Amino acid sequence: MDPRAWRRFRKNKGAVAGLCLVGLVTLTAFVGPLVAPHPPDQQFRDTLLRDDGTPVEPLERGSHLLGADPIGRDELSRLLDGGRVSMQVAFFATGLAVLVGLFVGVTSGYFGGGVDMVSMRTVDVLLSLPFLLVAIAIKRVIENTALWTLYLLLGLLLWTTLARVTRAKTLQVRELEFVQAARALGMSQARILFRHVLPNVIGPAIVIGTTLVAQVIIIESAMSFLGIGVEAPQASWGSMLREGQEMMSHSPRLVLFPGLLIMAAVFGFNLLGEGLRDALDPKD
Amino acid sequence: MRSTRRTDRVLGALIPLAVLAALITSIAVAPEPPDAPRYAGAGREEPQYGGTFVFFHESNVRSLDPHIAFDELSGMAIRLLFDGLLDYDEETRLVPSLAREMPRQSEDGLTFTFELREGVRFSNGRELTAEDVRWSLEHMLSPDVPSPGSPYYAQLEGLAEYRQGEAGHISGIRVVDRYTIELRLTAPDQTFLNAMAMPFAYPVPRESYEAHPEDVASHPVGTGPFVLEAWERGSRLVFRKNEGYWRPGKPYVDRMIYLENTSRNVAVMRFRNGDLDAVLRFSPADYLFFRSSEAWQPYLFLEPKVNLWGVGMNCGMEPFDDVHVRRAVAFAMDREGWSRARQGRYQPTGQPIPPQLIGYDPDLPTAHRFDLERAKEEMRLAGYPDGLPEEVTLWYSAGETGQYNAELAQADLARIGIRLRLNPVSFAAWLEETGKPHRAQMILTGWNMDFPDPSNFLDSLFHSRAATAANASNRTFYRNPELDDLLDRARIERDPRRREAMYREASVVLTEDAPWAFMWNDLHLEAVQPYVKGYFQNKVFSQDYRFVWLDLPRRAVAERHAVVPPAARAALFPVGAF
Repeated sequence: MDPRAWRRFRKNKGAVAGLCLVGLVTLTAFVGPLVAPHPPDQQFRDTLLRDDGTPVEPLERGSHLLGADPIGRDELSRLLDGGRVSMQVAFFATGLAVLVGLFVGVTSGYFGGGVDMVSMRTVDVLLSLPFLLVAIAIKRVIENTALWTLYLLLGLLLWTTLARVTRAKTLQVRELEFVQAARALGMSQARILFRHVLPNVIGPAIVIGTTLVAQVIIIESAMSFLGIGVEAPQASWGSMLREGQEMMSHSPRLVLFPGLLIMAAVFGFNLLGEGLRDALDPKD
Repeated sequence: MRSTRRTDRVLGALIPLAVLAALITSIAVAPEPPDAPRYAGAGREEPQYGGTFVFFHESNVRSLDPHIAFDELSGMAIRLLFDGLLDYDEETRLVPSLAREMPRQSEDGLTFTFELREGVRFSNGRELTAEDVRWSLEHMLSPDVPSPGSPYYAQLEGLAEYRQGEAGHISGIRVVDRYTIELRLTAPDQTFLNAMAMPFAYPVPRESYEAHPEDVASHPVGTGPFVLEAWERGSRLVFRKNEGYWRPGKPYVDRMIYLENTSRNVAVMRFRNGDLDAVLRFSPADYLFFRSSEAWQPYLFLEPKVNLWGVGMNCGMEPFDDVHVRRAVAFAMDREGWSRARQGRYQPTGQPIPPQLIGYDPDLPTAHRFDLERAKEEMRLAGYPDGLPEEVTLWYSAGETGQYNAELAQADLARIGIRLRLNPVSFAAWLEETGKPHRAQMILTGWNMDFPDPSNFLDSLFHSRAATAANASNRTFYRNPELDDLLDRARIERDPRRREAMYREASVVLTEDAPWAFMWNDLHLEAVQPYVKGYFQNKVFSQDYRFVWLDLPRRAVAERHAVVPPAARAALFPVGAF
């Protein structure tokens, strides 16, 4: 990888801001649950709900900094735990998508022919599907509500763009002199792929992977908002939006907090992705 | 070059901020619905004719066949299209409707003679006769028609032979002449007249059932004040005034529009904007708004509804075939906590009979209540001191209320080691699936009164006769021959005091066997626009909008139709079934 990349990245204020935002959100999500003041699912119906049934507001009760949700759960603990799940889904699903995308992209670009045809038509088909609808349909059919089904589902549906870009890059790399040389020296295909092709296509994959994280966060939120993402009582930022909307006109913070967190995380990953692209793939 | 770089950087920082600011401003300046009613009434005393009345429900109407439908949503539509021989007045007393007067009852209480009004016509133009009443009852009770209504007519003489196919007709139904019909019972059923006021007994014209053998549910022909003009399934039903309606001068409005699948949040917003005429479901925030809004107070109807809610457990499926597990659930529910989480709209109860009906026992010793120790003890007795090894699936009607309730149940049961898997389904699917014997383990379920008698609750929910193979109303499939016997005897008991004692005894049996964890009775809120007149809260039939009239000033009528053509709005908010 280009050693000047980091320097270019550092000089890009947007990218650094993105990195900070991402770092902050990720840290909160992964360390947060450890320092969360209460179990996220515990309902404090007697203390966190007032007599008229409204949840207590932020700062009203000492140990419940951000108040309660509509059924008396500690809002801060749920935001932290919800963030963990949202991030977990985003990272695992993206990781899977990157692996699949890289594999398909590199092999089809390198080998061409039938392999290329089959995998690229598959990509075309997958890209033409209305994503959210398909995800919902599959989630309904499999009836398994464990979290890993969500990773798997999103990962296996979202590798397409990455595969396309990787393939295009592989097509270029394949024709470069050092690859030709390696081939002439009689190196094994696997070795050529891993030692020479992969390192040269990983840059764009990282960039796309980063923006993919942002995409997955949005998709997971949307699915959880519709009630087919994470399973209750597990919180995620999306499901918190859903649970808060009924009280929205009374306590706007119930949708504001998770909404802003989703926004911050997505914005951060997009900035970061942009910055990485400028750093890794300078056009001029 | 340098300056463009700089501009870029400034823009790069400014644009996200600008977008955010624009978003926030647009939210802030978005039109808030007014806090007070937008259209006041014109103050007229005399009923006015004309106009369109628009109402809604959150889910979709399942059937317009009165012999089949047995849910609140369908009932609201069916009441516009059909009439019964008998009906209820504002005090929930039985009054004649298609019958000219209350039926004559024989000395032994076994024979009822109904005289029909002459000149009543179905909306297809044909006159209603006693023969139609007979055909309708026999059709509804036919073994080929999966009507959930059949248990209510079990005392009709000759019914068993008819249902077993040994007789072509029900011997207890006799057409005396064109307008007179006589019904004979085998025992003095105290609820028979109530049953005759249920939609199952609404007369329907035979020809419409023969013309649409597969799909009569969407081709309703009745004697009611309205006729169905259009049904865009899943979106809305449009009803047109029945010009030949037999009640002189009624109905008043020209059209009724029933919006299906309308989320309550959207509905309340539209109501506050003045383009919906009545609302019956409220999110927590909206409920709090209406309760505290002074301007709306005169137009609210707030009272305990005669209904029952609870958590039903399928007695024919593991682990709820064990009474101890069922009792554990019944005692694990923190009813006061639920009520608090639902703004006090749940009035906690621990027994099957609602407080307004005979048989309710304020001091019932076996009543369910929140007692965690007792619940844990029952789990020990069941052999699960550390909780159930398997998850239990809870079926409920999808929606915000269902979701809150399910998560409340989940938290309560987690304390005794029962893990719930939540399974939200559409209301129509809930009705369909939970009515099958070995399908749903645990359900969030309720019952609204069909007639003011405890037998309506107990016979419908817990009699083995109602645990049918499909469309069961006994959705927990609880079967207890002793209770069946007690309920059958109570139903024909003519001494009110002894009858009450029998129902109290039944409550003891049911709380001990706990097919349900009895949870709460609703405190029900409805709101209608100030200009909606002639509406009363019918305790038997929810949302009885048949004879309302609109007291809108002329200008408001024009404005209301100009600003919000109801049809266009209906198309804008087709909420999906997710």
